[in-house]
Amino acid sequence: MKGLRKYLTPFAPDQSGAVSVLYDLGGIIVICDAGGCTGNICGFDEPRWFETSSAVFSAGLRDMDAILGRDDKLVEKLAMAAEKIDANFAAIIGTPVPATIGTDYRALKRLAEKKIDLPIITVETTGMNLYDFGAERALEAIFKTFTAEQAETIPGRIGVLGASPLDLAGKHPERKLEEKLLLEGASQVVIYGMGATLEDIRNAASAEKNLVVSPAGLRAAEYLKKNFGTEYEIRCPLAEDMVPEEDFSGKKVLCVHQQVMANSMRDRIRRLGGEDVTVATWFMRKPALAEPQDRILTEEDEFEELVEKEQFDCILADRTLQPIVRDYPGAWIHAPHFAVSGKLGDDE
Amino acid sequence: MSSEAIYYTAQQLAEMGKEEIPSELISNTHLIYSSPATLAFNSPGAEGFGVKRAALAVPESVMLLVAPGCCGRNTSTISSMRAYHHRYFYLMMDETDLVTGRHLKVIPDAVQEVVDSLEKKPAVVMICITCVDALLGTDMERVCRRAEEKTGVRVKPCYMYALTREGRKPPMVHVRQSIYSMLEQRSRRSSSVNIMGFFAPLDDGTELYAMLKSAGVRNIREIGRCKTYEEFQMMAEANFNLVLNPEARFAAEDLQYKLGIPSVELIRMYQTDRIHRQYEAFGQALGVTFDDTPYRQEAEAAVAEFQEQYPDTVFAVGEAMNGNPFELALALTRYGFKVSEIYGTIAPEFYVYVNKLAQLSPETKIYSNLEPTMLYYSCSTSDADLTIGKDAGYYHPGCPNVQWNSDVQPFGYEAVRDLFRALLQAKQGEEETK
Repeated sequence: MKGLRKYLTPFAPDQSGAVSVLYDLGGIIVICDAGGCTGNICGFDEPRWFETSSAVFSAGLRDMDAILGRDDKLVEKLAMAAEKIDANFAAIIGTPVPATIGTDYRALKRLAEKKIDLPIITVETTGMNLYDFGAERALEAIFKTFTAEQAETIPGRIGVLGASPLDLAGKHPERKLEEKLLLEGASQVVIYGMGATLEDIRNAASAEKNLVVSPAGLRAAEYLKKNFGTEYEIRCPLAEDMVPEEDFSGKKVLCVHQQVMANSMRDRIRRLGGEDVTVATWFMRKPALAEPQDRILTEEDEFEELVEKEQFDCILADRTLQPIVRDYPGAWIHAPHFAVSGKLGDDE
Repeated sequence: MSSEAIYYTAQQLAEMGKEEIPSELISNTHLIYSSPATLAFNSPGAEGFGVKRAALAVPESVMLLVAPGCCGRNTSTISSMRAYHHRYFYLMMDETDLVTGRHLKVIPDAVQEVVDSLEKKPAVVMICITCVDALLGTDMERVCRRAEEKTGVRVKPCYMYALTREGRKPPMVHVRQSIYSMLEQRSRRSSSVNIMGFFAPLDDGTELYAMLKSAGVRNIREIGRCKTYEEFQMMAEANFNLVLNPEARFAAEDLQYKLGIPSVELIRMYQTDRIHRQYEAFGQALGVTFDDTPYRQEAEAAVAEFQEQYPDTVFAVGEAMNGNPFELALALTRYGFKVSEIYGTIAPEFYVYVNKLAQLSPETKIYSNLEPTMLYYSCSTSDADLTIGKDAGYYHPGCPNVQWNSDVQPFGYEAVRDLFRALLQAKQGEEETK
């Protein structure tokens, strides 16, 4: 049945993706909710929350705020916080409540800009889309807001777009990613959304090249190319760690992850002899990055049918998906995906 | 910009009075800061019992969460607990559902599919709905009736409406009403009593059980101890309900109205003289006299032992624990200790404690966990050397901490005794590691 989940808990939502992009940037992040969404985002979807503090707030909406559409009260609360908190911007992140009452984010942004002496970003998330949608919107918003000027290109400087703790496995995957890119010859690595500062965003045009590691980074990469001429490449170097060094020749393989990671896993499998490799994703699927056999998944039933019909010899996917296909007889290689499982991978 | 967390002293608050609580301490007047110390506020399901976990306190129940995906995201934390394995199901709403309400039409089919997927038919399917349906004004009772007709299984709604958190019936009040509304009329028995208020049972060691038995009660029932739905239904035979948490007050009133079961309310306290007085009043209401002397002596002995070894202890008390932080801080102060900080959500009804604290410990600082400047909280100016509550532990990472937040609930003298034993252990543990 459409929308029914019997085995899986819902995946990381768009609002979590948006917050993950903004978390490190030193702004005030207001989640436009009654409290529960904030609890979910911070307490569950943001592994950094237990290690580093960030000015993440719930708007603390109450029923009458929503019914009467009291945007002015939200702005008043934000203005009060901005007087007390040292921040370089403020972001308002949408949830199901503003989606239900039809909040006009442009009007909210203008209202806030009049009262608060900070750049204001709004991200129109609804809690009904997935994390990559929110991350994509947030990335686009920060570059459009802060990357205004052409900068001199720094040779070897690589900007990484679309990185998020929600889809890179393990604790501090950004360190591994940086290490790999430095080994590949980069002189500087700036990972937007994972360690980059607002100053790095302002200087984004100085990158020699951008690396898109998930579909969520693609729109921002296109924006930076169009406006500043920065070329980009699409691949995720961390995929190498997801695929074991073994002979895949003659095997029919399924890779399930976010599309760029899964594509990079496929590339490695092909280097290891595999030919018949299908990529499936529960998340954003860019047609230009897909091969004809690739699939998008939305329901548990679809995954079950795909596995049953295609008779794969090997599946590389988060093990959280295994209960859907309990009778699957082939090999299963765990490819952790936090947005699916809520587990980092290292601690399993 | 001062970069310091805002606080008020007990004296300042007492002087301002309960009608003039400063806005920084009233959560609906400011943004709510989200830190690990406030997880229990923003995501009650992640720690202790939120609506999703509480509703499944009904034995043999399963839940269908009908909501946007984000509302069910953190449930995998609960699902990983053995008792909740394969008891949560989700019907995820999309934007079209929001506009057309079409998700409501498929709920009976979804319930049927869930029931069919289970090896054993559940006794009840709880349909949990969230803020979205609160705003849409969904009549979920009606939808549940349709689902019952289709499936032949009992289907009940429960409401995770965070938007109503500070209203007259917040979600944790409502969920108790939903649960106890399932009790059906039975012959009452004078020897049966229900303990209401918590979803996990009281600690086995609490004197309340022995005292009730001494008053002739043979069957003491709590939802947290019911193993089957039938056992849960036996709660309908109670002579009276003992309400230990004000959040169960409305549910108890419903039971009085629907099944004719009256209720008595007791509160958890850490001041032994107050506990004694409460038991006296309780005994009078039942027409018996409780002999609480041995329990009181045991509790006071535990306090004395701690006092003897660590007389100069300075406490920081949080609200993420099984107690009222203001009452506990007052108890500690009255036992002769110093309380340097309280992290709590002040309300007019707590002024009974704040006013006394202002007399005994006027300099005690009171912070709201939820206030935005808590981002800057630093324990460097605090002289606390022992903390109580998970939140207080977060603020004082270098201090020994007693979380005191187990699901199983401490109560009465036993709570005092066990708390002080835990505090003693924490201090001794600190010494051993030095």
